Amino acid sequence: MRNLIQPVLTIAGKDIRDALKDRFIILMTAFLLLASLVALAVAAIALKVDVATYAEAKAGLIALGKDASTIPDPAFYPLKLLRGFVEHVEIIGAIIGILIGYRAAASERGRQTLALIVTRPISQWQFLAGKVLAGTAIISSGLILAFVIAGIAVIAISGIVLNPEDIGRLAIVMSAAGLYALAFFLLGFVTALWAKKLPNALLLAFTVWLSFVLIAPQIGDTLDPDNQVAGGVFKQLQIAKPQQVEILQSFSTYETIRNGIEVASPTKHFERLSFAVLGIKDTYAGQPLMPILAEKASDLVWLLAIALALGLLLFARRLDPNRLSKE
Amino acid sequence: MGNTAANAPIRLLISQSLATIARERTVALLALLFLVLVVVAAYLGWSATSTVNAIYLRSVDYMTAQGQTIPSNPVLDTSPLALLRNMATYVSLIGALAAIVVGHQLIASDRKAGTMPLLATRPMRGIDLGIAKAVALVIAIAALVTFAAVINTATFLALPEFRLDGAGWSKLAVFYGMSGLYLLVFGFLGMWFGAAAKSETVGLLIPVTVWLTLTFVLPQITSNINPVAALNPVSALADAPASAFFQVTGWALGPFSLAEAYRVISAQLLDFMPPTYVDRVAIPAAASLLIAAAGVGAIATRAVARMDMTKGDYDA
Repeated sequence: MRNLIQPVLTIAGKDIRDALKDRFIILMTAFLLLASLVALAVAAIALKVDVATYAEAKAGLIALGKDASTIPDPAFYPLKLLRGFVEHVEIIGAIIGILIGYRAAASERGRQTLALIVTRPISQWQFLAGKVLAGTAIISSGLILAFVIAGIAVIAISGIVLNPEDIGRLAIVMSAAGLYALAFFLLGFVTALWAKKLPNALLLAFTVWLSFVLIAPQIGDTLDPDNQVAGGVFKQLQIAKPQQVEILQSFSTYETIRNGIEVASPTKHFERLSFAVLGIKDTYAGQPLMPILAEKASDLVWLLAIALALGLLLFARRLDPNRLSKE
Repeated sequence: MGNTAANAPIRLLISQSLATIARERTVALLALLFLVLVVVAAYLGWSATSTVNAIYLRSVDYMTAQGQTIPSNPVLDTSPLALLRNMATYVSLIGALAAIVVGHQLIASDRKAGTMPLLATRPMRGIDLGIAKAVALVIAIAALVTFAAVINTATFLALPEFRLDGAGWSKLAVFYGMSGLYLLVFGFLGMWFGAAAKSETVGLLIPVTVWLTLTFVLPQITSNINPVAALNPVSALADAPASAFFQVTGWALGPFSLAEAYRVISAQLLDFMPPTYVDRVAIPAAASLLIAAAGVGAIATRAVARMDMTKGDYDA
């Protein structure tokens, strides 16, 4: 068993050391952290504005003679501050995944070492497993760093210490982010391993990223009739929620197609799960975790299935002798 | 450009550069994806508008039964040009990425083919090469935008319920002009780093990072605080929270927030500007784009002119 695992660990260790020397991966991770901190700072300022608006409205009502005890205090959920951070993980996290995957294959092809590795007494699966293990470790380290910083920033901004359940929610979203980024790592790795020209592999991976991370959710979002009118169509027509549901029943086919386009995107699965678990979406704010997880389990299964499918694709295909070097 | 003989190498370089990028499959793939999305944008606009209209008609039945006052149909308040509102998003996403790739390939294809040392032996100056590549980029971007304009014009002609008057056609033409200007910023960025970077991958990734910053990070502090709002042409223009911080950042950083500037121009020209939008930026959005395109264009041309002509391929 040790003989089987040792080459995998050796390749993984070497790949991790190489990745840590790659300035662009470090730069992109720093970029994610910076973008996340900007998102958190902006959320904090927006929260301060909301609190001031509430205090002003409350003072106005009291001045009009209304009993202060009848005015409900606003509900505050610190994890809601993470919306911008989660959205940056969706966009930049996927790019980091692609870059790490691309580098894992491109470094070997660029230095002509892939051709050398296949002459050594190690199996193809051991080489690939070593690369995937290294990629998983690098992605996990970056995400742990980002989520710890985001968690600390939330505490610093809100002044509320996160309870164990909040930390658990963060851990669940971080694991989902890991699976999500791993899927893009595999995309970057597979394209760089199989493409004839390496830079074309990067462009192909970016095109797939653009299609599934930005365009599919964009089409779904645009087709949502409530997003077509500033403020929302039902709000403008002053239709109450139960009637909205009733009216929309006549548009179930349209809604099925719209939702189908959205769920073609792994990003949407990650977003739906994260927004529900962290209570960013209003309907889930303050709700217990287990029922949310039960409802959103399918999103987690989708992320797992996408990563698994790409992994199977990677291991099922033999290395092409014509793709061992740079071009 | 007055002397025909002196301009001959520039013309040759332009035609050769255009022929080379036309053969690049990744450029063709991205250009095709962009053109497909141009068609999709028109369909989405039509489909969403029709659905809102159908929802309104259903709501009228309900409101009549309830004895409520019937508000006006939001579709009737919408300009036919707003049918193309998604174009603003697709130009700023896939269009910008395609422009980066075109700009990058204009230089990378020569560097990888090892033609730089050969070009150095020809009777031409570095600046001639820079100008030729810049002109080739302008022609390539203009072709991309013209294709999109033709598709959208055909859409309007095919949908008689969305009829444009003279002013509407003029606004559409200006929209394509501004889209071309916005794409040129990214095309020049791709050209600049295609020439200046030692590694081809880095030469591609730096412009992509700048694009990410301009599209998703900077608008957070100058307009909509949610990064993914950039995907929806209407939500992207939601007003920032009423705070002194956003007043200052909107005013001072707004001129650099090119994606926001392009969205504002698109919303003004395609008539989908939300009534709540507040313009805080120090200089007009069109001026931002013009200055950026001219500035990055000059830097990119200079970067090409100053390339090391003794070296062929990238280092890695």
